[in-house]
Amino acid sequence: MDILACPIDKYHPLELHVFEEKSEIVEGIIVCPKCNRFYPIIDEIPHMLPDNLRTKEEDVKFLRKWAGQLPPKIANEGKPFNLTTN
Amino acid sequence: MKSKRIKKVVREGYAKIAEQGSSCCGSVNSCCGGVDVTQDISRKIGYTEEELKNAPEGANLGLGCGNPVALASLKEGETVLDLGSGAGFDSFLAAQKVGDKGRVIGVDMTPEMIKKAKENAKKGNYRNVEFRLGEIENLPLADASVDVIISNCVINLSPDKERVFRESFRVLTLGGRLMISDIVLLRELPDYIRKSIEAYIGCLSGAIMKDKYIAMIEKAGFQNVKVINETSFPIELMANDPTAKTIMKNLRLTAEKVKGIADSVVSISIQAKR
Repeated sequence: MDILACPIDKYHPLELHVFEEKSEIVEGIIVCPKCNRFYPIIDEIPHMLPDNLRTKEEDVKFLRKWAGQLPPKIANEGKPFNLTTN
Repeated sequence: MKSKRIKKVVREGYAKIAEQGSSCCGSVNSCCGGVDVTQDISRKIGYTEEELKNAPEGANLGLGCGNPVALASLKEGETVLDLGSGAGFDSFLAAQKVGDKGRVIGVDMTPEMIKKAKENAKKGNYRNVEFRLGEIENLPLADASVDVIISNCVINLSPDKERVFRESFRVLTLGGRLMISDIVLLRELPDYIRKSIEAYIGCLSGAIMKDKYIAMIEKAGFQNVKVINETSFPIELMANDPTAKTIMKNLRLTAEKVKGIADSVVSISIQAKR
């Protein structure tokens, strides 16, 4: 986390929200406070891909799974997709 | 070929390789020498017996052109970034070099590869290696955050190599080193190879002329750009590559033509400083 930056605007440091933790963080999100993009951590792997390599289906599915624990700014205004994305 | 299409082809191609465990035994009805063939290729490109033995089983997919010089240059405590880390072979070797005080970050855009690398890290009990799903043209790392960048036969696949070098420059500390191996061309490839989508993941169609490659690194701001090793591309590597095999078969290439192509391709190790 200490050297991780947003791949889009290179902002650093990023915010970490942990949803599930064992010996490592299993699921969670990494958020860029500058552009409000979120990057999911799935099965202990941070997905730090730029927008063109992400899909709406997978991102929205992930957000729905953790809807109760998302920071409101990500749930409603997160990029590239959020829970208000049709 | 459009960038987006190239990305898709490369990701899908490597996903397949990750699942099958090696570049040999690929989509075509081929060899199946399995582990032995992979290790044999790795030995030929300069890895030591010890290095091959020490990496977790399954981490070496036999896909690289060899980066032993970069590995030899690593010092304890350094932070290393591996561009296109694949199943993690070079990352693990680097991790042994930098020790507990150092760390290695592997970035790869193929989910199947990252998953495999992560499994390998657990198998080998590596605590100083982390893998991130990411794109080498858009690195998810802070400015001036790594001491050394290693990369082994990957950048040739990128449709935007200039950007890869710019990003590398950005994340390296002042005085940090770029220590990469890649394949480049001494002569332009014939059109029928260049046009082949399949050749892309066999590393060939994406490869550019050596002079141009070096000029791109310099343009990104690097200093003291040096070619520290240059070897002809091992023909076994090409003959072992499923995509290359398909191409040879589909284009009905004669052995002579294949040799001509192989002679235009070299594997180089480059060192540069930020």
